[in-house]
Amino acid sequence: MFKKLSAITLAAVMLFASATGINAGATQALKGKIVINGSSALLPLTLQAAKEFKTLHPGVQISATASSSIAGPQAVAKGAAQIGACDWDASMDVPGFKAFKGQVAHKVAVIPFATIVHKDVKVENLTTAQLQGIFSGKITNWKEVGGADAEIIVINRAFGSGTRVNYQIKALEDTEFMKSGKNYKEVKSSGDMFTAVKSTPNSIGYIDLVYVKDGVKAVKLNNIEANADNIINGKYPVWAYGYYMTKGQPTGATKAFIEYLQSNKFQQGTLKKMNFIPISSMKDKK
Amino acid sequence: MKPELNTKTRHKILNKEKALKSHPSINRALANKFFGHFCYVSILILCITLISIVLFIGKIGIQTFSEVSLKEFFFTLEWSPMEDLYGAGTFIIGTLTLTALTLVIATPISLIIAVFVAEIAPLWIKRIMRPLLDLLVGIPSVIYGYLGVTILIPFLRDIADIHMGDGILAAALVLSLMILPIVTRLIDDSIAAVPESYREAAYALGSSRLQVIVNVIIPSIKRGIITAIILGMARAIGETMAVVMVIGNVAQLPTGLFMPTSVLTSNIVMQITAVQAGTTWHSALYMMACLLLLISLVLIYCVRRIRSKGEEGL
Repeated sequence: MFKKLSAITLAAVMLFASATGINAGATQALKGKIVINGSSALLPLTLQAAKEFKTLHPGVQISATASSSIAGPQAVAKGAAQIGACDWDASMDVPGFKAFKGQVAHKVAVIPFATIVHKDVKVENLTTAQLQGIFSGKITNWKEVGGADAEIIVINRAFGSGTRVNYQIKALEDTEFMKSGKNYKEVKSSGDMFTAVKSTPNSIGYIDLVYVKDGVKAVKLNNIEANADNIINGKYPVWAYGYYMTKGQPTGATKAFIEYLQSNKFQQGTLKKMNFIPISSMKDKK
Repeated sequence: MKPELNTKTRHKILNKEKALKSHPSINRALANKFFGHFCYVSILILCITLISIVLFIGKIGIQTFSEVSLKEFFFTLEWSPMEDLYGAGTFIIGTLTLTALTLVIATPISLIIAVFVAEIAPLWIKRIMRPLLDLLVGIPSVIYGYLGVTILIPFLRDIADIHMGDGILAAALVLSLMILPIVTRLIDDSIAAVPESYREAAYALGSSRLQVIVNVIIPSIKRGIITAIILGMARAIGETMAVVMVIGNVAQLPTGLFMPTSVLTSNIVMQITAVQAGTTWHSALYMMACLLLLISLVLIYCVRRIRSKGEEGL
């Protein structure tokens, strides 16, 4: 009985292993396994693209996880992932992070970021100066910025987050975040940020637009609303390119997946619906 | 009628025994030897793995001290790797405070539950409580963390009328719930090991049940209580997921029960994926992991010392 069981187990393991074997180059029946790690801001886009790609190429297995942007290029460097989603170009030096040599960056989307507050906060608009004051700890009460008399709870992303890097540069204009305080908290991923702001009254944070749903409110920056049009016409500055990092040039299933994401059909269709912006819409580099 | 054991019969018997010792018995001897070797190899693999883990973590951890002085790492409180400040004092104090608070909350409750289940409860409650406690031990820590985030923190916010429920009290409450079943079951087993004669002697002298419990049983399980506490402490010190979800993750000293803070485990899990291998930051995090290993080793050593003392004492 034991012999039969081990024979069956061995056969099942071998079958499974052969099914997940990587086959580069075959275009007719595209097969392969893609592991994607990294930015949680890009995760909803990656998951949706993976779902659509799978209906077109059922032989490709895609598994996507996310924590923060830095994990993407690090996983690619270690060989743990084929694609590293990152909110900055990891092949170049960025404040706080060294360049990852040998990796190629592929632009896949324009990510819009917004300042979010708990849904009961009565403030609709914040100026850059007010944001700088709040996130550096100088402004501590909502009544100083036109809201109710309540202490502001600042929720920040942990080091390694691409959203944090971009928000600091574009919205806070390089002001330092506060590091400690009794109304300050750090979370790891975009999902955690959403949960934290949604469940903590009088809280403020920042996240990319795809996560803004019932439960949090996006506030305007300098009276400009965070949406695709304002980013395209240059009025709203808080956005960044989302990149897929690969080790060298991608091949096979990985290449096909990236090309699918960059295809016009996906960019103008699904990507726009999810509140991202097609790369072709942004004419300037930044 | 006794059988005649003359030489002929004796030879016959010996030959028969030799015949029996042939084929199946050689297999048996070989099997025994093989099993013995297999056991040794398994133990060797286990020891090598454990020692490799300790060496690997220690090797990378020690590299910290080429850039950071021992004094700065252990005794300063500023943890700002972006500004080259590697003071892990905050996290060490955080871990010790959290563990102390957890034990203060969990130990009395565990003791009372254990005494109740072992001494006072009727058999049907015993039958329910013991498997229930065993089940609670097996619940994954991330579930406790999730319950902490969704139920405990809003609850603390309401009753304490404060802004953010994250902090050391929330983490201590979650950890107490996690170590309660372990400590309770261990104390329960100790109580069950107390000889019935102790109780009967006390009752014969006219003690009430409370007097028996307080004056006879609890003093005789003192060592069992200490063992249980130390094992609970070991679990609490190493707990990561449940703590990281409710503690706020800010590297500052907790000056109040509701202030977001950080401990060794939560800081490692928040930062280890973000740092590049080979940097001082990376080595510093490994040094913190090394610290945790050392603390566990010390605690386990204490348990073994207490246990062996207890055995010769009784």
